[in-house]
Amino acid sequence: MIKLVLRRLAQMLLIMLTVSLLLFAIFDTDQFRKKVAVSELGGFGVATLSDSDYQAWLEKKGLNAPFLQRYVEWVGNVASGNLGHSMEKNVAVSTLLKDRLTKTGILAFFVFLIMIPTALTLGVIAGMNEGGRLDRVISILAVFTTSVPQIATAVLLTVAFSLGLGWVPSKSAMTDGWSFKELMLPLVTLLFYDIGYVVRMTRASMSEVMSSHYIRTAILKGLPYWRVIVRHAMRNALIVPFTLIFLQLNWLLSQVVVVEVFFQYNGFGRMLYDAAMYGDIAVLQAATLVAVAVAVLSQLLSDIGYVILNPRVRFA
Amino acid sequence: MNEIKRNPLVSKLKTQLDEGKLERREFLRLSALIGLTAATAYSVIGLPAPALAADTLPFPPADPAAKKGGTLRIGQLVAKMDDPATYAWNEMSNQSRSIIEHMTLVGPDNVVRPMLIEAWEPSEDLKTWTLHVRKGVMWHNGEELTAEHIAWNIRRWTDSATGSSNLGLSTFSALAEDTGAKTDKGKPIRVPAKNGVEVVDTHTLKLNLSRPVLSVAEDCGEYPTLIVHPSFVAPFSNAPIGTGPYTLAELKVGDRCILKRIAKTTDGKDFKYWGGDVYLDEIHFYNFDQDNQTAALASGTVDAIYELTVDQLELARSIDGAQIKSVQTAQTLCCRMQVDVKPFNDIRVRKAVVKAADNAAIQQLLFPEGGGIAYNYHVAPVHPEYFPLPKIGRDVEGAKALLKEAGYENGLDLTIDVGNTDGPWHQAACEALRDQLKDAGINLSVNVLPTSKFWEIWDKTPFGATSWAHRPLGTMALAQAYRTGVPWNETHFSDPEFDKALSEAEATIDVAKRKAKMEKVEKILQDAAVMVEPLWRPIYNLAAANVHGYMPHPARQLQLTKVWMG
Repeated sequence: MIKLVLRRLAQMLLIMLTVSLLLFAIFDTDQFRKKVAVSELGGFGVATLSDSDYQAWLEKKGLNAPFLQRYVEWVGNVASGNLGHSMEKNVAVSTLLKDRLTKTGILAFFVFLIMIPTALTLGVIAGMNEGGRLDRVISILAVFTTSVPQIATAVLLTVAFSLGLGWVPSKSAMTDGWSFKELMLPLVTLLFYDIGYVVRMTRASMSEVMSSHYIRTAILKGLPYWRVIVRHAMRNALIVPFTLIFLQLNWLLSQVVVVEVFFQYNGFGRMLYDAAMYGDIAVLQAATLVAVAVAVLSQLLSDIGYVILNPRVRFA
Repeated sequence: MNEIKRNPLVSKLKTQLDEGKLERREFLRLSALIGLTAATAYSVIGLPAPALAADTLPFPPADPAAKKGGTLRIGQLVAKMDDPATYAWNEMSNQSRSIIEHMTLVGPDNVVRPMLIEAWEPSEDLKTWTLHVRKGVMWHNGEELTAEHIAWNIRRWTDSATGSSNLGLSTFSALAEDTGAKTDKGKPIRVPAKNGVEVVDTHTLKLNLSRPVLSVAEDCGEYPTLIVHPSFVAPFSNAPIGTGPYTLAELKVGDRCILKRIAKTTDGKDFKYWGGDVYLDEIHFYNFDQDNQTAALASGTVDAIYELTVDQLELARSIDGAQIKSVQTAQTLCCRMQVDVKPFNDIRVRKAVVKAADNAAIQQLLFPEGGGIAYNYHVAPVHPEYFPLPKIGRDVEGAKALLKEAGYENGLDLTIDVGNTDGPWHQAACEALRDQLKDAGINLSVNVLPTSKFWEIWDKTPFGATSWAHRPLGTMALAQAYRTGVPWNETHFSDPEFDKALSEAEATIDVAKRKAKMEKVEKILQDAAVMVEPLWRPIYNLAAANVHGYMPHPARQLQLTKVWMG
């Protein structure tokens, strides 16, 4: 197990290095530098700069140092805990990242808090009654919610609950400080897709277990039905959804861009979007590191959970 | 004031007024141009100054019903505040304008008024301008504003190493001199001219311009001309010292910008604002994309928004009590062609494009309410020196004939680059143009680029749709965009006769004569057929019912000092 963890962590470092190197390479073009200059000084402003002024500007922003030198410097800085400075937001990347990750973390917390019990319950119920009316209803709903793109869900919810009924504000900028009411729409939008997905997975796993021999045997030998479900079926059926839920963490980090940008919620996704639009390389690099770390760590947790839950699997 | 009254320029204006060549409103506006306060202007024409005009402040008249206190929440993009001299967006200066201030302020009515300089006097040749710095203006650190401070700012702008777009304004360009050194691309390196800015005494300075400039007062009110304290080090948001009534309490780019009233200077004195009563306790900017601003106001998250786009008018109208205001501007879109690139180097091709276009139809399509039709010479009816040339109509047959003559009888394929830098209406305008040109046998493809990509090529593409912001004077836009060799000359248009005519118009204070001179300038530009400039777009803004004094501004400057909540 320790070997597995260590190997995964080593992999993580390698992926981070590779991705950051690639990012640096992508951004090491004149076009990109020009784009940053335009973002900073404006299209008309850049046209006014003479060539040497432009070079001086690049120098000031540290954009014209050779590729490798910049990269090595960056790795050194990150190793010593300095993530750099956001050119667009004029603030240390670590401060920005902490703030934005907290916001997205809160959102994710509520997503999981509601999603896990709801999705598992619905999935188990559907799986228990495979082919029954309850299963049909739940399955159709689940397929429906996962097949609507999030941007459409966001628009529909806004029109219905904000502009129509006026129950919740249409945007989630939290201008007057933290407000759960403003969190509702992004939360529901994320849940809409996520619950449907986990329900379907849980249902599949549950129905598979329910049709297995040992469940039939348990029922035939006269055990009470609820005991068969809780003691025998669920324990095995939940292994897959459980490991899957960890992977949702990773999924959430990318899906959250659409939701945060639409609802103007100032989280990680919006930060990523802004940085990509502006060409704010320090932020992009840091966000990539976070994304890679979350991806690898969530997989690791999922694997560990799987091993613990399923004694048949042992990693060498 | 008597000195000013004896100013020969004023007496000239007065004569014109007496001869009926000039309307009274125009007289007041032009007096302001050459440095008269409204009160003096009224007294010159022998009228009692209205109570409001007696005020020498640049702000709208005080509203007796105004209440103190409250917070105004505005939805706009929250930008960083790095170096005011290199501000590239209006949003940056909107956040700053209540902290640091301009020398002059161009009001929502497009009339320039004195702000940090309380009066200005041009010499008759318009080459020497004396600026009187307002007395009793206090910096947030307790110092008094002096002529030296202003001079420091101007010298900074006129150094090309600062990278300020102010160097593109006639006044500051005429205060810079070439070092003789050139970059490998042949662009000159410029530094402040030796005797350009002269400090006469603590509150007077003299601008010795290298050529006559009429627009000094207007140039001093452009959005990147905010006056910072000489202790300034970028980023401004770290140590915001200004002369305005507010200071920066919090800035989170892309999230919020919080301004608070100043009560004490940093050295412990009571802060007294020179500009009279200020009502709001706090001003908050919250980051909302353009598309989201109206919805944010509808759900009560903000009290006012910065940009109301034409596609959101319907939604805005459905909000209870919301105030929609609009103003005429000189904001425009130039679908311009480079005159030295094939096939546009053939004037017959350019003329064919212009003839095949139907400006009126495009205007009607995009801004059916507000706005005006433009006729391809980049001077707008809101400009004081506007000379209305005869209207031109569409002439498809003429266009076809010209194309045939130019050797394109089987049609011509063109591509126009558009970046929607000022909203999706750019693309709509180009698409309308595409459909119109088809009738004359020109196949136009519309190449839509992301905004940032567009800014990489805006001055390089042979055929592109560039948005031009409002400028208070028509000559300002012409000087920046069409004079030979200026940095923003995207059409590469170069005509010595045009340059000469423009310079002459710029050097003429006499209004009737100046308007007459503009006829030639405008005609040369229109005849050169360098662009299809279909329209002047209106600016709309939106505020909740309880916001007072929140005015739309032709150059989209938010001026919040006198806004109040009730």
